[in-house]
Amino acid sequence: MNELRYVLINIMETLLRVLPIPCATGLRVIGDPDEHSPVLLTGNYHLTVERVRRALRGLDCYLLIANSRGINVWCAAAGGHLTNHDVISALKTSGIEQRVAHRRVILPQLAATGVEASVVQRKTGWKVIWGPVYAGDIPAFIDHGFEKTPAMRQVAFPWTQRLEMAAAWAFPISVISALAAQVVWPDGSIPLALLVWGLALLIFLSFPLYSRWLRPEGKRVGFVFFDFGRGGLQLILWGAFMLGVVGYANWEGILSWDVVWRWGFASLVVVLVLSLDLMGSTPVYKSGLHEDRMLEVVLDENTCRGAGFCEQVCPRNCFDVDHRQHRATRPRGHLCVQCGACIVQCPFDALSFQSPTGETIAPETIRRFKLNLLGQRMK
Amino acid sequence: MSTYVLMKILESAPDRYDRGIRWLTLGRLERAYDRLASHIQEGQRVLDLGCGTGALTLRAAERGARVKGIDVNAQMLEKAEQRARGAGFTATIEFSEMGVAELGNEPSESYDVVMSGLCFSELTEDELTYTLDEVKRILKPGGLLLVADEANPESLPKRMLARLIRCPLAVITYLLTQTTTRAIDQLPERLQEKGFSILSIRRSRLEDFIEIVSRKPRGIQDE
Repeated sequence: MNELRYVLINIMETLLRVLPIPCATGLRVIGDPDEHSPVLLTGNYHLTVERVRRALRGLDCYLLIANSRGINVWCAAAGGHLTNHDVISALKTSGIEQRVAHRRVILPQLAATGVEASVVQRKTGWKVIWGPVYAGDIPAFIDHGFEKTPAMRQVAFPWTQRLEMAAAWAFPISVISALAAQVVWPDGSIPLALLVWGLALLIFLSFPLYSRWLRPEGKRVGFVFFDFGRGGLQLILWGAFMLGVVGYANWEGILSWDVVWRWGFASLVVVLVLSLDLMGSTPVYKSGLHEDRMLEVVLDENTCRGAGFCEQVCPRNCFDVDHRQHRATRPRGHLCVQCGACIVQCPFDALSFQSPTGETIAPETIRRFKLNLLGQRMK
Repeated sequence: MSTYVLMKILESAPDRYDRGIRWLTLGRLERAYDRLASHIQEGQRVLDLGCGTGALTLRAAERGARVKGIDVNAQMLEKAEQRARGAGFTATIEFSEMGVAELGNEPSESYDVVMSGLCFSELTEDELTYTLDEVKRILKPGGLLLVADEANPESLPKRMLARLIRCPLAVITYLLTQTTTRAIDQLPERLQEKGFSILSIRRSRLEDFIEIVSRKPRGIQDE
């Protein structure tokens, strides 16, 4: 019964993945914990909580659910919906302080973009330990005495996740276009919906085949990763396609407004699917939506003292830290997705963003206004 | 006044918040805040929970109180600070970016008045319970808790009508900002449970907005 419920929840909420789905916040007791048991925290996105609880089966611990407005941890933290305040609130108002003797809380690593470990510690006395990226690694992480392997720190985009993202995009677009087709082309509804699903699955499942040609800093990376903000190349192609349709129909002697309407509508849906922010739908690329916000992380070697927080929170393993020389380097900087976590956590402000125009964005600005607000600030 | 949920849209751009809020509520919120602030006296120590752009904070300062405004939204606070500077209240108003969960750091019995305008409806259940306990602790004996917020109507027809109006607005807001507010059930009863005595309650005609003036008892005989 529980298995069936879990599978159904996963299917339903994957189809509705683009919408926030909140669940109750507060303290959940897992197994039979005592005052020394670990305390973990996550956001109140329902699907996340379901998956974390499943990953924690067999453990004795406490799970705090902070108010991330029903959004997954990474998006909520980057967008300013999961902040210091939400973590502090979960620690102070959930009653956990009366349950445990220690003051260590394990946070999801991906929350590091929006939650400052040092502020949480200063204001509450709780020490933040950055846990693994994926909940499935939590038991091994606890077994290893809260040490992460490099693999536990890194985001991946395996076929299961790619299938999820394909479904998350295909479902709402196919429903909307099938409904719209009822007006212009009733018979076309189902073929159009199937076409949308086929395209989405093709694009995401074949990702490893073409991803080697994608570069995070490269902006013109191929048709499927264009969007309307990029000069509307797809609109030009769409126009050319439509001219071709009209020409062909005329040649065959079947040209009518109906034909133009239907093909125009169907091909517009295809163009829309291909124009989505697909790069932003992967965890391994920066969103392609805001070319003006293509920022670069800059490491100031003179300020760096090798604290190593950057290495702990970077979801792309860009950093190496020499703990003897007290120095960090960024040998894999080309993998950066500009999540800003390293900048937010660095205790010496040795990291910052640099905009395409050469302007430096101070760590304090990112901590205060988070990534989604930076666009307004940069203008 | 089910339109309060729309304020979450305005909050995402504090510059248009003040103008938008007047337009949305047709000035009713302003009048509610005026009524609440009228309970404040010169020289009092006042705390404004979830001060936003400082609507209640400035009213309290205008009445001669020393006010601390707290909010978790850095952008709204920036706006509030601008307004306080513009009105010349830099000496009597202090703003702090902190949430209600940090009220534990405020000394006991240090405030004459605690105000909350449209803040409780944004809290989680745990936060609200914690806040009421902490407010009671930091208020001086006889101190006032002034609340203006969204509420769930008591009568069923009004409750259904309020839901009907609120639902589409909440959906729009949610799609645009991924946040919403939560109208509170039985706030007067909850305050009484925590030991506050209710001095006055004023509800909007649809009963979906409530203004409460309550007091922390002076001593044992008061309770």
